[in-house]
Amino acid sequence: MRKVIILIIVFTFQKNYSQELFVVTDPASNVPANSLAVNIMQSAFKEKFEPGYNYHFMPEVTYGINKNLMIRGSAFISTRSDALYAEGGGFMVKYRFLSEDDLNSHFRMAAFGRYSFNRADIHQEQIEILGHNTGFETGIIATKLIHKLAISSSLSFEKALDNKPNYPFPSSFGNNATNYTLSFGKLMYPKKYTSFKQTNINLMVEFVGQTINENGKSYVDVVPAIQFIFNSQARLDLAYRQELISSMLRSAPNGFYFNLYYTFFDLKN
Amino acid sequence: MKKINSIYIVLVSIVLIASTKATAQISKAEIRATGLTCSMCSNAINKQLKSLPEVVDVETDLNTNTFTVKLKEDNTLSPKVFKDRVEKAGFFIGTLILTTKLETIKQSTYVLINNVSNSSKEVKFQVMDKGYVTEREFKKLLKSLKNLATYASNNEDDYHIKIIN
Repeated sequence: MRKVIILIIVFTFQKNYSQELFVVTDPASNVPANSLAVNIMQSAFKEKFEPGYNYHFMPEVTYGINKNLMIRGSAFISTRSDALYAEGGGFMVKYRFLSEDDLNSHFRMAAFGRYSFNRADIHQEQIEILGHNTGFETGIIATKLIHKLAISSSLSFEKALDNKPNYPFPSSFGNNATNYTLSFGKLMYPKKYTSFKQTNINLMVEFVGQTINENGKSYVDVVPAIQFIFNSQARLDLAYRQELISSMLRSAPNGFYFNLYYTFFDLKN
Repeated sequence: MKKINSIYIVLVSIVLIASTKATAQISKAEIRATGLTCSMCSNAINKQLKSLPEVVDVETDLNTNTFTVKLKEDNTLSPKVFKDRVEKAGFFIGTLILTTKLETIKQSTYVLINNVSNSSKEVKFQVMDKGYVTEREFKKLLKSLKNLATYASNNEDDYHIKIIN
């Protein structure tokens, strides 16, 4: 924990460029209008109660309808129950309703809603509609870019429904939760831009937490990440997620993320 | 039929010539975008600008987020096009400096907020309206231009400009 705090302090006071293209959370900014972003998200998390890792494969497509509105479709595939089992899919809408931009800085706010369906078994108290539960989530995001450091925070309500057809949500678990996130992002390289072709390297630290509203059971995780941006168009993320505190049942809290992200700019032309 | 076609072509040409004369003929636009520091964000703006058929070339300074856009001769673009493009990419205009022929700014759509005598054929000016300057700058301008009724009305069809050269 102390190391994490030191890391945040180091991040906050280094004067450099920054990024807000976070790995596990979304910023208040959207993808550009008429642009399509494809994200191949992969993760391997260590099983707590059995040997080995589970592998999740989540392809995502995001489209900017206009400057303020974007939509995203996701598919959830995992090896948790079988070799590459298609567990479900999801749909997300994000609307940016506030922008206060200045030279090299901005403050933005957005509201989002997400619905996912999933047919896998329910095996933990943690509610996660990205790849585990059927359910919906709605919330707000605020992102500040100041002195070339990006800080983003979100607050959301998430409710789990039955994983139809075979797995109703256990009545002994609380089925709705409050989620909260805090993310920091910083561009470490280059110090000075010379062209679009330059590879950018970003470092990020994200905190992701949840409290089950009914019983107060909670967790907080930290996700440090390194991100490479190639040709100002493609992105590669490597991240590790570590549980810091938890009072709820979770089957695989710790693991790795590996994301590949590509933006097709301005499709209408 | 052929005759009708040629009359039609002549008529269209006259209308086209007349309309190009009435509009901006911007030869160069220097745009400084706000709210970004990453090259991927700059690239979004770069691609939006390049997709305009009137654009010949876009030069980008990634450190200042300044885009120098060279445009085809006798285009009919208005300053609003640049604002729309930058905002489509998800950002805003901090400064917009345009280079046009001198007669352009004599049109009624342009309101001069400073008086500079200019004898050259080309004129360089900054657009000072809301959405073309930073929010902070706009608030300052609202105070200093409070005697100019058209400024506060934020009419999208007129542009308040400051001559630079």
